Amino acid sequence: MKIELIEKIEGEAFLDVSCRHGKVHEAYVRFPHYRGIEKILVGRDPLDALVINPRVCGICGHAHLQATVMVLEKLAKFEPNEKVKKIREITRFCEMVQNHIKWFYLVVFDRLGLSYDFRSVHAIIQKINTLAAIFSGQWPHSSYALPGGVTCDPSQLEILHAKRLVQSVQERFVSLVGAFDIKNLSKDLKRLYDRLEKRDLLYAGKSLDRFIAFGNDSYVQSSKILHGKVRPAKLHHIEEFSQEKSYAKGVTYKGKFYETGPLARTMLRGDHFVKQLHRRYKDSITTRIFARVYEVWTLLEKIDAHLRTLDIAEPSFVPITIPDGMAVEAVEAARGSLIHQVCIEEGKIAEYSIITPTQWNLSNAKNGESSIIQKALLGAKCEDTDIIFRSFDICSVCTTH
Amino acid sequence: MRPKVVWLQGVTCNGNSHSFVNLPDIEDFLRCYEWLYHPVLPSSCTLDELPEIECDVLVLEGGLKSGWQKGEFDLEELFLQLAKNAKKVVAVGSCAVYGGVFREYDENITGVLFSGAKKTKLYESLVQKTVNIPGCPAHPEWIAFALEAKKPILDAFNRPKELYAYTVHSGCVRNEYFEWKVDAERFGTKEGCLYYKQGCQGPFTHGSCNKILWNETASKTRVGTPCFGCTEPDFPKRDLFMTKTYMGIPATMPLGVPKRAYLTITGIAKSFHISRLHKRVFDED
Repeated sequence: MKIELIEKIEGEAFLDVSCRHGKVHEAYVRFPHYRGIEKILVGRDPLDALVINPRVCGICGHAHLQATVMVLEKLAKFEPNEKVKKIREITRFCEMVQNHIKWFYLVVFDRLGLSYDFRSVHAIIQKINTLAAIFSGQWPHSSYALPGGVTCDPSQLEILHAKRLVQSVQERFVSLVGAFDIKNLSKDLKRLYDRLEKRDLLYAGKSLDRFIAFGNDSYVQSSKILHGKVRPAKLHHIEEFSQEKSYAKGVTYKGKFYETGPLARTMLRGDHFVKQLHRRYKDSITTRIFARVYEVWTLLEKIDAHLRTLDIAEPSFVPITIPDGMAVEAVEAARGSLIHQVCIEEGKIAEYSIITPTQWNLSNAKNGESSIIQKALLGAKCEDTDIIFRSFDICSVCTTH
Repeated sequence: MRPKVVWLQGVTCNGNSHSFVNLPDIEDFLRCYEWLYHPVLPSSCTLDELPEIECDVLVLEGGLKSGWQKGEFDLEELFLQLAKNAKKVVAVGSCAVYGGVFREYDENITGVLFSGAKKTKLYESLVQKTVNIPGCPAHPEWIAFALEAKKPILDAFNRPKELYAYTVHSGCVRNEYFEWKVDAERFGTKEGCLYYKQGCQGPFTHGSCNKILWNETASKTRVGTPCFGCTEPDFPKRDLFMTKTYMGIPATMPLGVPKRAYLTITGIAKSFHISRLHKRVFDED
């Protein structure tokens, strides 16, 4: 048994691997930390969770903010107007874009030994975060969304600024990665493909070929794929279980493991580019990596469309009261479905529970069935474990909230 | 010789690492240093190698806790080993400065020099070479300043006065409403001051959020979000979206303002009705 420390994954994790004849025979993932976020919330005013929860994670704190807002709104049976929904999606999609770009270059390109234009990559990250901050005040760690709406009241000046930014990011992105045309890959997508081919990685990291998403927004609808069939996914079928030697809990849907994240979302959406790849490479790291980059393009188009159709005359906020009770809600974060559950008693938080995307992808085996990460690693060449592991875009801090 | 930097993470959410990446033209800044370790940006060493190396500047992000596993090492031991030879220690973010949000769960999580507002056991040995940059997260320009500045003037919490002598209220675009005591009726509008009802801590929080804007464009109060006082040792307080009041007066006064002075000014301001400040900013009339 070899213990690998996997670092720079928003914290660290341990991967216990045993190899036979150069191939992975067994794999187990451990997260060594716990920070007690769910405990900190107990006894506090529900709105305090809007400030505490983004601190689960420095790279996807915005998704945690929105999951908090949405679970409280669900409890209050409140549905925000189109303006509020669009503004929230714009900022959340910005967060996903910056995440994917950082992962693609600082992790994937770096690990595969590919060079990249840091200045151009950084300009994209910085500009997309500025776009978010126009509405959210800052990125990271904004608390601009709250039950009933958003705190900002953007004027045309801000919308025009945001439109210029998304246009600039779109142009820069395409000039780096080229077009999403499977027969004519160019630029960085081509360089990535060639490197995966050269390292014999194109078919590596295949997993259970099951996908799930619980978020409901203009980008994806709550659903799952099992044996190639798309069906609705319901939150009450989710089960968490404790794992030995790790602070992270495992999670299943109706007792089965599912992959969540960009590959799952693009498959559920039926995006042509990703389905084409999937036909040939199944859920290997090739499809997983390309799906995440493709998602950047789709999300930028969504942001642009929302900015064009935003009716700034609608109210940004309607005061609502949060009743006592229990609710559970999901939102799509960069790495997949993020689920928050809250219980309010006498106006205070009595219980709070968070399931993060990495828990879906990085659970360990249960009842003899290999998990998503384990299936992806089993049989892989031992020197490829690092890149296969990272193809899931792991977030250690989220998982060890 | 470029100064060698190690950016070490303790008990953290990584928010400061990602905030720092927002620094405009960061590549020009990065080039001035030799980056031995950074959790997000390209750097030359692995975590395993850290106990063997020496750095000139040690950046700590996140709180310290004895027994916290950092790779194969103990976080606190690793920190002390690196700090011993470093010329400068920069505590970035409120967790590294005071212990921060996670201290609410475990009081053994502390900052370098402070645990909340109390001095830690490391205070005496490290106070001379430590610069504190609180904030949740710290602003990228503040972090860059702490790395660059030679002997900045510091306050009692070792925060550079250049950044923290201001209040978050300085430069807030809602200042006129503060002056004439016009409150925001609700969230989601451009109008009204958030200090009276919505819990804004800007008038008594040290920070330059409305002087050095976030992401080059905004701040919490500029998008109608109250300041939560994240640069102070008592962050996060409770009931963050409402103002605690006594007899209708905010419980915490603007920084350095005696209650009598505040009441006098408020009485005068409220005796006038400035009709422009009671209308929408973009009034259609």
